[in-house]
Amino acid sequence: MSAGQPRQAGGAHVLARAALGLYPPVWRARYGNEVLALLEDSGAGVAAAASLAWHAVPAWACPPRHLYDRRERMRASVATVGMAWALLAGLAAVFTQLAQAQRQVQGPTLAQHPVIAWSYWAFDACLVVSVLAVAVGGVPLWLVMLRRARRARRRGEVALLLAAAVVPAAYLAAGAVVVALVRGPSRPVVPWESRSMVDLANGGVGPRWFLALVLLGFAAALVSAAGPGLALRRLRLHGPVLVLAARAAFLAAVTMGLAGAASVVAAVGLYQWAPAYAGYRGAWPLAVYLSAVLLAAAVAVISAARGIRASRPPAVA
Amino acid sequence: MRDGLDRWADPPLLVLASLAEEPKHGYAITQDIADTMGVRLSAGTLYAVISRLESRGLIEALESDDRRRPYRLTAAGARELAEQSERMTQVASVARQRLRVNYGWAGA
Repeated sequence: MSAGQPRQAGGAHVLARAALGLYPPVWRARYGNEVLALLEDSGAGVAAAASLAWHAVPAWACPPRHLYDRRERMRASVATVGMAWALLAGLAAVFTQLAQAQRQVQGPTLAQHPVIAWSYWAFDACLVVSVLAVAVGGVPLWLVMLRRARRARRRGEVALLLAAAVVPAAYLAAGAVVVALVRGPSRPVVPWESRSMVDLANGGVGPRWFLALVLLGFAAALVSAAGPGLALRRLRLHGPVLVLAARAAFLAAVTMGLAGAASVVAAVGLYQWAPAYAGYRGAWPLAVYLSAVLLAAAVAVISAARGIRASRPPAVA
Repeated sequence: MRDGLDRWADPPLLVLASLAEEPKHGYAITQDIADTMGVRLSAGTLYAVISRLESRGLIEALESDDRRRPYRLTAAGARELAEQSERMTQVASVARQRLRVNYGWAGA
């Protein structure tokens, strides 16, 4: 049971350490030192680093049960999915405003394209299912948490929970006021004039106000999702309502991820097939949108998978 | 390239078989498996397997002051290894008999 002779640690060892950094913190805390010791004994090559990086994916998606408290895992998963879902919902709203709702641009030119038409249909269908899943799993959990926080006179948690309703309402009210104050007549779309889609589809408030409202909207969405998530962690709620929320979060994350994927297909289709004057030829907005959707969807789906796994009763060895 | 035909050399079974000898730490497990079974497990694969086996209660970590923490087989792990070994023996027995009859194989 003796260790082998330590070998020289080079660039590959640094790579292997970096790959170890991809693992969940609790996994690293339990096995990190042992893995480093093994790499010192056996010599860390690029292949070892690649293998470590590859196995980090299942360590996130299917975390070993003995490293986690099931209830805490579910609470963390529901809270994380809530944040990622809010981000995806914000991206979906931007997509709807910039692409799907622009009938004056798309009607005569793009709606007939089957890829875009089917993508819009898939986007709408997935979005509806996802919102329903959030309602089915999130509303009962929110109500139970609110009741418990009020009974226990925990004002901080009550405020966090109410943020889910108050912040979006405040944002919509502020948005309505801004739109009423700054909205001007929309310029008509003319085939020989090349403009960006933000310039075309800003709802008459101008590109700067539009971008400001979008950024404010993302902030409002994240705050309204973070509030209940934080309250859930603090109240340490458990029971059937948490299990239902974890399962609904999985469905909501998967369907929202699919809606995001459909919107990406549509956005790429618009980039590819729309006429130049329609404003969809910007590579940067497309790249930013694609990256944001992929990142948020990956976080949502992986976290939801961890939650649904924790929602199952442990198997007897 | 074995085209996936070496799947009976499942890393969890290899680790269980290695620990059936005596408690071992990570490096000793990989060395034992490489020497006795001809399979080299990477650090990523080994610790993915160790975490799963530990999670299912088939192996357990022993106390150690060293970073190289040894693991040992539990009673449940020994049962699992016995069941899997029995199954593999059965498959090997049928395969040997048919190879002898149909292909004139004269091996062990």
